[in-house]
Amino acid sequence: MTEVLVCTEDFDLGEEYQNLCAGLPGAGAVVTFVGRVRDLNEGNEVATLELQHYPGMTEKLIQEILEQAKQRWLVDRVRVIHRVGQLQPTDQIVFVGVASAHRKEAFAAAEFIMDYLKTKATFWKKESRRDQDDKGKNQSEWLEMKGSDIASAERWKN
Amino acid sequence: MIKVLLFGRLGELHSSSSLDIKLDDSIKTAGDVRKKIATDFPDLGRALDEPQTLVALNQEIVDLSQGLANGDELAFLPPVTGG
Repeated sequence: MTEVLVCTEDFDLGEEYQNLCAGLPGAGAVVTFVGRVRDLNEGNEVATLELQHYPGMTEKLIQEILEQAKQRWLVDRVRVIHRVGQLQPTDQIVFVGVASAHRKEAFAAAEFIMDYLKTKATFWKKESRRDQDDKGKNQSEWLEMKGSDIASAERWKN
Repeated sequence: MIKVLLFGRLGELHSSSSLDIKLDDSIKTAGDVRKKIATDFPDLGRALDEPQTLVALNQEIVDLSQGLANGDELAFLPPVTGG
């Protein structure tokens, strides 16, 4: 199982959980996180979300984030899946899984990985909205990183 | 010749998400490439000039003084939004 997967296909949480635990009898704590496309983003009704990335560089940056997490916390196994392409509200976008002996490490590592995925990995999101402009075309916008995401990532710098 | 990649909204400011640029005596660094693009495509040039736009050479973040060689891949990265 590779640790990092960037793909268009959907993933199965149950299957990922099984793979994360397989052969690790000492992993008493398994944290999994799934990010989904919201139907409402900052007051706008979302029609579709297009995710673009920089193939090669993205995988390398995510791997660097995972190596940092492994240096900071005792974790037995980590896995990140990030989808790209055209997604719709309620679709799964991202999976982060961490197996560790104890829950504090597993929670912290999963949060750290998510915070850095938000602010460091080379993904770009274009939101297309249900609102139409005067030409009857769906309004769309490339999303910017949120201040709260930056602040969340900043807290790991010590 | 180097390949320049444009991601996110930068690709939409241009007719394509990549372009080829020929290196010569006046185009030797990432900053020179940015200047050349700004001359040829002013709208795109303004976006590349924004301080949040990062530059990657062969998939490593570099600064604009970075020297270039034929066959390099230079990417301009607008602010990312993963997760």
